[in-house]
Amino acid sequence: MANTTKLNVIYGDVTLGLSGPGFHYIFAYDRGGLESLVRYGKEWLYRTPKPAFWRATTDNDRGNGFSTSSAAWLGADMFSACTKIEVAVNGQSIPLPIAPENNKYSDHETAETVAIKFTYTTTTVPATTVTVEYVVDGAGKMTINTHYHGAAGLPELPVLGLRFVMPTAATGFDYQGLSGETYPDRLAGGRPGTYHVDGLPVTPYMVPQECGMHMANDWVKVTRATTQNNADPDHQPFSLTVSQNGHPFAFSCLPYTPEELENATHIEELPVARRTVLTVYGATRGVGGIDSWGADVEPQYHVAGDSDHDFSFEINGTTEA
Amino acid sequence: MKAEISWLDDPQTFRVNQLPAHSDHRGYATAAEAAEAKSSLVQSLDGSWGFAFSKDPQHRPVGFYEPDYDRSDFDRLAVPGHIELAGYGQIQYINTAYPWEGKHYRRPAYSMGADHPEKGMFSTDPENTVGSYVKHFTLNPELRHQRVSIEFDGVEQAMYLWLNGHFIGYAEDSFSRAEFDLTPYLQDGENLLAVEVFKHSTAAFLEDQDMFRFSGIFRSVRLVAKPALHLEDMTIRAGVDDAFVTGNLNVKLALSAADKLAGAVKVSLFDATGNVVWTDDSEAAAELTVQTTVNHVHLWNHHDPYLYRLEVTLLDADSQVVEVVPYPVGFRRIEMKDKIMQLNGKRLILNGVNRHEWDAHRGRAVTAADMAHDMQVFHDNHINAVRTCHYPDQDDWYYLCDQNGIYMMAENNLETHGTWQKMGAVEPSYNVPGSLPQWQLAVLDRAKSNYEMFKNHAAVLFWSLGNEAYAGDDIAAMDKFYHDADPTRLTHYEGVCRNRVYEDRISDMESMMYDPPREIEKYLQNDPDKPFVNCEYMHDMGNSIGGMNSYIDLIDKYPMYQGGFIWDYIDQALWTKDEVTGQPVLRYGGDFDDRHADYEFSGDGLLFADRTPKPALQEVDYYYGQHD
Repeated sequence: MANTTKLNVIYGDVTLGLSGPGFHYIFAYDRGGLESLVRYGKEWLYRTPKPAFWRATTDNDRGNGFSTSSAAWLGADMFSACTKIEVAVNGQSIPLPIAPENNKYSDHETAETVAIKFTYTTTTVPATTVTVEYVVDGAGKMTINTHYHGAAGLPELPVLGLRFVMPTAATGFDYQGLSGETYPDRLAGGRPGTYHVDGLPVTPYMVPQECGMHMANDWVKVTRATTQNNADPDHQPFSLTVSQNGHPFAFSCLPYTPEELENATHIEELPVARRTVLTVYGATRGVGGIDSWGADVEPQYHVAGDSDHDFSFEINGTTEA
Repeated sequence: MKAEISWLDDPQTFRVNQLPAHSDHRGYATAAEAAEAKSSLVQSLDGSWGFAFSKDPQHRPVGFYEPDYDRSDFDRLAVPGHIELAGYGQIQYINTAYPWEGKHYRRPAYSMGADHPEKGMFSTDPENTVGSYVKHFTLNPELRHQRVSIEFDGVEQAMYLWLNGHFIGYAEDSFSRAEFDLTPYLQDGENLLAVEVFKHSTAAFLEDQDMFRFSGIFRSVRLVAKPALHLEDMTIRAGVDDAFVTGNLNVKLALSAADKLAGAVKVSLFDATGNVVWTDDSEAAAELTVQTTVNHVHLWNHHDPYLYRLEVTLLDADSQVVEVVPYPVGFRRIEMKDKIMQLNGKRLILNGVNRHEWDAHRGRAVTAADMAHDMQVFHDNHINAVRTCHYPDQDDWYYLCDQNGIYMMAENNLETHGTWQKMGAVEPSYNVPGSLPQWQLAVLDRAKSNYEMFKNHAAVLFWSLGNEAYAGDDIAAMDKFYHDADPTRLTHYEGVCRNRVYEDRISDMESMMYDPPREIEKYLQNDPDKPFVNCEYMHDMGNSIGGMNSYIDLIDKYPMYQGGFIWDYIDQALWTKDEVTGQPVLRYGGDFDDRHADYEFSGDGLLFADRTPKPALQEVDYYYGQHD
């Protein structure tokens, strides 16, 4: 039994590979993050997940100048770089295992858990850091802990999250949370329950903008039926589930990044939907509504830039899936 | 009388030969017709009309109304509809500034002094498009040899009318019914009706609503026959005693006759199951009043919109029925008591929305299906009140509100935003109507048209003087008109907060738009004189409606806070064909090369322009459900 729950660890020169029954993950030192998340032969990542700081400007954001005052986060959302990588095996830190450090390993290494932590330094002035730690166990369960270091002088954040871009568009998603599109200041009407959403609908606001937020979820399960793998003719649906770790989380599941939404003045200008953009949020600003030409979002629904924020969630292990 | 194009430039000429505004009741030839709501006395003129478009008054086909005019090059155009949506004339969306911003420097006639009449401003305007409409019709047999009038439910923005080459009359006020007597010039066989519609006149200064700017005959047109005896007007007052037990019904009737006014008038009241509650027989007279009391009256309100049915039957001297007029009657009492608005003795809470008439295919030429859909959305989301922003709606909407218990703030057609607020700053140096005597009759006429047409609807609780037209003697005169004409309802005006000199003379309630909750709370904590209503709040532009609880919390905290009307019900955008893909797409201001424009500011609805709900609607449903 013990052997079956152990993680296989591949101490590569460019990446750290972790595998077990039904999963294979690759963390890339050169790409600064989780490069590959394969479950039962299906790839779930298009590019490495990065911290999310931006939301496509809402009409109210534009009207009250928030997108102007917080514009630094748009740059940070697109261009913040990974500046540090730390690895721990069975809870013990080890030096970054690249050659010659990894010459001591074999092709049959195992561990109980492996943690890898990426530090991203923002492009803001002043700069700050966000750490994203992935803790993986032998069942393939991935616990993701994110920490934002507040820094004096930073503008308020539109959002704080971790964005996963998947190679192909999802057929839909299921979640346990609130009905409809909800925000911190607009969730009283959301009815708790388990919901299915077909496809990846973009709320058709006249000018494409932040949309599709779901507050207070226990889990979300994304289902796709296609891959980019030329050797995979199978079109059976397959799923990935993200679950809460102690606190409900917010997410959006859309075919576009905030930057793609930001650039469009009409919904028909958006590109053909090719990907799935799943963003898990630790904090999100309210949308406001007093007016659309100056009134601020009420203060309790702001996300401070000068204080720390933490959030944590899980990607379910294969044995639970 | 000869039609003068200079009327377009004169704010003191706004109705010529129009029949007086009156109750919106409909006459039927028989009780059976009334039961089916199909009147043989009415002949619709909706449908395909002959049409010529001109880019300005100088290029219009002068004399096109003459029977022998060569109209072989006329196109066809559907009535009702907007000229711009048929491909003539540029579509434009603009909010507060006037549609000629950046193209013409203009000051309203007399606003810079009595010696500034601004002659020629619209009659020689190179951008004032003109629609020349013609319709041939032959009277239905039921209308022949009777007095016949014509009703235009909505023509934007100024119209001249001819029949068989004879000038009939002139009308402004795009959103009020204009009625003219055709009798003298009707002929056997085919008749030629001609309507010349100008996009702009001095009415443009009074109709600066935040909306797409259209022109044309955008509501229905019909011929109406008046039988030998005809009910011209009717004023129904259906109240209740102080104990809210006994109903008081007072019905004032005004009759006209083709010849001698003789015969009888039977007035009956039926309950909702059709049982006769009361009946009265009187001799026909030009004016008569009948009244009764109703024991244990079934009152009308949002949750129980109980309607009695009044039926007025006119009989000629031979006791033959010549006209039957049914009308729904809701007994209720709206009053200000201890500085709180009460309906039937209970504090009124307004879970309201502002509703522009909108259809993404048809603009403001909304359909019965649109209205039915909207009523269902109200019902499903605890919406109990509507402000007819910022003009009178189609008549059917008022009947729907009666039937469904929707409280109406019935607003007349007035907004002059661009004359007193520029880029958000209050700057009323050339405001109209202000206190200018040359503009007062025009706005009073708008108030009167609104009152006379809708005075019998139980749903109408408030008369609203208009929106964002600042304050002055002319607005005060409108308020006085409403109070003098109708002691049974309250008045509302948004501009009450704009110039406090007038606050006691222009609105029974304190009204603000987009005031933050903490500011409203300050008002309420300061021993105010009037209850507070948000005439517009929760601006639902794009992804919005955050923090609604801060308003709703005031309801339980302050009895003088009485709710409000969300801005607004539906996005204004238009279905067009994508120039790249050919696919249908929704387009908004600026998408038609229209400049100056206000772009996406027209998208503030709880519904998208295609009537699908925005996600925020569930929030409104929740919070409005708290005090439903």
